[in-house]
Amino acid sequence: MNAVRVGWLYLKIGVLNELQYRVNFFVQLLQSLIQIGTGLVMLSLVYSHTDELHGWKQPELLSLLGVQVLLGGVIHAFIQPNMERLMQDVQEGTLDYALTKPADSQVLVSVRTVRIWQVVEIVSGFILLFVGLAGVDKSVGFVDAIAFGCALVIGAVLVYCFWLIMTTGAFWIVRMEHVLELFEGIYRTGQWPIGVYPGWLRYSVTFLVPVAFAVTVPAQAVTSRLQWQTLLISFVFGCVLFVVARWFWRFGLRHYAGASA
Amino acid sequence: MSEPVVHVSELTKIFKVPEREAGLGAAAKALVRRKTRDVHAVEEVSFEIAGGEVVGFLGPNGAGKTTTLKMLAGLLYPTDGEARVLGHIPSRRERDYLRRMTMVMGNRNQLQWDIPALDSFELNRAIYRLRREDFLSMRDELIELLDVGDLVRKPVRNLSLGERMKVEIVGALLHRPQVLFLDEPTIGLDVTMQKRIRTFVAEYNRRHGATVLLTSHYMADVEALCKRVIVIHHGRILYDGGLAALADEFAAYKTIGVVLENGGAPLDSYGEVVEVDGDRVSLRVPKAETSRVAARLLADHEVLDLTIEEPPIEDVIESVFAQPAG
Amino acid sequence: MSVDAARLPEAGRWRSLFDFYVTTMRTAVAAQLQYRVAQYFYMIGMVAEPVVYLVVWTTIAEEQGGAVNGITVGEFAAYYIVWTLVRNMNIVFGAPFWEFRIREGRLAGDLLKPMTMLHYDLAYFAGWKFVVVAMWIPIAIGLSAVFHPTLDPTALQIGVFICAIWGAYLIRTMFQGIVGMLNFWTTRGAAVFDLYMATEMLLSGRLVPLQLMPGWVQTLADFLPFKWTFGYPIESLVGDMSTRSLLLGLVAQLLWIGIGLAGYRLAWKFAIKRFTAVGG
Repeated sequence: MNAVRVGWLYLKIGVLNELQYRVNFFVQLLQSLIQIGTGLVMLSLVYSHTDELHGWKQPELLSLLGVQVLLGGVIHAFIQPNMERLMQDVQEGTLDYALTKPADSQVLVSVRTVRIWQVVEIVSGFILLFVGLAGVDKSVGFVDAIAFGCALVIGAVLVYCFWLIMTTGAFWIVRMEHVLELFEGIYRTGQWPIGVYPGWLRYSVTFLVPVAFAVTVPAQAVTSRLQWQTLLISFVFGCVLFVVARWFWRFGLRHYAGASA
Repeated sequence: MSEPVVHVSELTKIFKVPEREAGLGAAAKALVRRKTRDVHAVEEVSFEIAGGEVVGFLGPNGAGKTTTLKMLAGLLYPTDGEARVLGHIPSRRERDYLRRMTMVMGNRNQLQWDIPALDSFELNRAIYRLRREDFLSMRDELIELLDVGDLVRKPVRNLSLGERMKVEIVGALLHRPQVLFLDEPTIGLDVTMQKRIRTFVAEYNRRHGATVLLTSHYMADVEALCKRVIVIHHGRILYDGGLAALADEFAAYKTIGVVLENGGAPLDSYGEVVEVDGDRVSLRVPKAETSRVAARLLADHEVLDLTIEEPPIEDVIESVFAQPAG
Repeated sequence: MSVDAARLPEAGRWRSLFDFYVTTMRTAVAAQLQYRVAQYFYMIGMVAEPVVYLVVWTTIAEEQGGAVNGITVGEFAAYYIVWTLVRNMNIVFGAPFWEFRIREGRLAGDLLKPMTMLHYDLAYFAGWKFVVVAMWIPIAIGLSAVFHPTLDPTALQIGVFICAIWGAYLIRTMFQGIVGMLNFWTTRGAAVFDLYMATEMLLSGRLVPLQLMPGWVQTLADFLPFKWTFGYPIESLVGDMSTRSLLLGLVAQLLWIGIGLAGYRLAWKFAIKRFTAVGG
């Protein structure tokens, strides 16, 4: 399939490009260590005052942190760079370069750029996840693992669609970049199980900015507390959002092409 | 005779530039032991400038003119040599010195971006500790001279490149500096704007007797403003004197333009035929031979018109810069 | 013409410094008002951090019968809402701004002016704070409506708080400035900055009220400047500090301002040497 081939090609080029900057690896390593360190400190602080947070024990919450860091790495490596570049192209009018290439435009703008050193973040997320799981009483079953995998993919798709919809909004609203700066802050909410948040916040981080689904659902899967209904809703939500994002993107493109002088 | 305003003696600036070969092995080595290369940007430069002079610095990119100017402005610390401006040592960056000088760099903004220029001028008033009456009179004079009355109420970001340059200049001169360092002030501007700024600088120099050091790529700037030029190349002074005499010193040739009665005769034996424009032929002739060739032409042919021209300054400068270092 | 012609006289030294601060602050307000939208978004994003902490500690407190280490839910809410004000006051001309200043080449232009850069940075950001505080008020009201903080400060506490947030502003300008000046020597200043921020987060009371930290951390925090930029100002308003400790805290701030200023000036001397040696 053409989209896959294009994606692979861009990935290769992006990686080769970035590999030149070996210093970036150490910088990224340092940043990941700091990020995880702070997360772990917070976690141990919390558990020095309690045994269970909303029914989650410490190793389980560690796994949740692992999923958050892991997904964060995926976002920072693959999703965010492309969306930021897309935003810049829209603002500076350089989007035409992407549109005149013989490939599906959405695929192109979604895979052009990669920050490969963020993979360090993905790896550290996995490490945290496994360390956490090692401390959990119940071992992870086969079904749980499959559910985890599916939930993670759906989560990534949800975040991607969210970003794409927001960035497409930049066709109309120039100030969109400020909205996206909020993302990092709101993504912090994924560090904790959504049950702790008051109702209005819970719904916001589930449907408005689908951080909760993206992080909590896989974590629930891997700690054996996921209900199949949740996974189903997540899957349906993911499909719907993907369709909406794609439609919105083509709508925005038509508007852009019509409007550009 | 009063002290020169600018006194420069054996001024030298050597930059240490890191040097590294490509490849992973070299990168790893570089982390431990850095190899550097010495770049001699300015090499034992000496000159003196009296008050009220307008001096142009000419030289190709990387010649050392901006570096020299920056050392005189206090932005760069000289490696060796001595520089004094208005009796101060610039690298000490004494407040007293900074209040008496100004530097305008083309394409750089020093005014606040989002607010009207007038408000930025207020800020400069406070920074330079001007008395209100002095500030107002100078400000109004500059606004009138540069004709920016309707521009100063607009936020600077809304102005065009040329308009921005004009208000930048106002902002830079509010404290009535006695020495002006102008680094490529007309770069990127259209011809009309360049002319305006040249006229302004000449007028400011006339009114306030300020000393002006100017670098520019545009010969028109130098020709319009500077009676004296200093040519810098590879960090050294190649020439320091009048602009008119520059051609004399460096031009290796002159151009003889001749129109013959019987046009079409080959003139290769007299010199290098540079251009044939109808009946008019331009010959490039070594300077020493000019009168002899002219005499031969007059003797050998029916000459309707004969002119002897200096090469254009640009060409002279170009040939000067074409010389290798050393 | 002689070199002394047309030399403009100077206005009096202290009066012009005061005039300079007022003018710069006014300029900052005028300029920053143009970026209201961007600032609001930034503030909303910033609020997410304390909200998350607050929610977590509230959950723990409720599961433990209403309080953690004696801090009630209402007190947590007060702590983290005041946190947002202190956090805003804390934004100074720090490392990212230094990096920008050096990279964008504005430094040369700034250096040509006969005014100490520190005065300019302090004055500009101080003016900006007025815009920031005005915009913060609606956010504070909103947060209070949702989280119901318990807050009942005395007049002395309010007075000390106002001094303390400006003290925090000064301390942080100095120390962040020192970190920021590292950018004169390396392009990776951001990495050191991250390290500094992480340390600050843990030892200042930004993550949690320092009371909840283990004892050795609290002792360590007493000897570092971080606590005095964050935890102390917040505690002075929402906590139960005695008059003596409130005033001693102000003294501690003065001490740290002094240390910071000395370090800043030293760093600046080296930074200028470096800049004028290699240009920019």
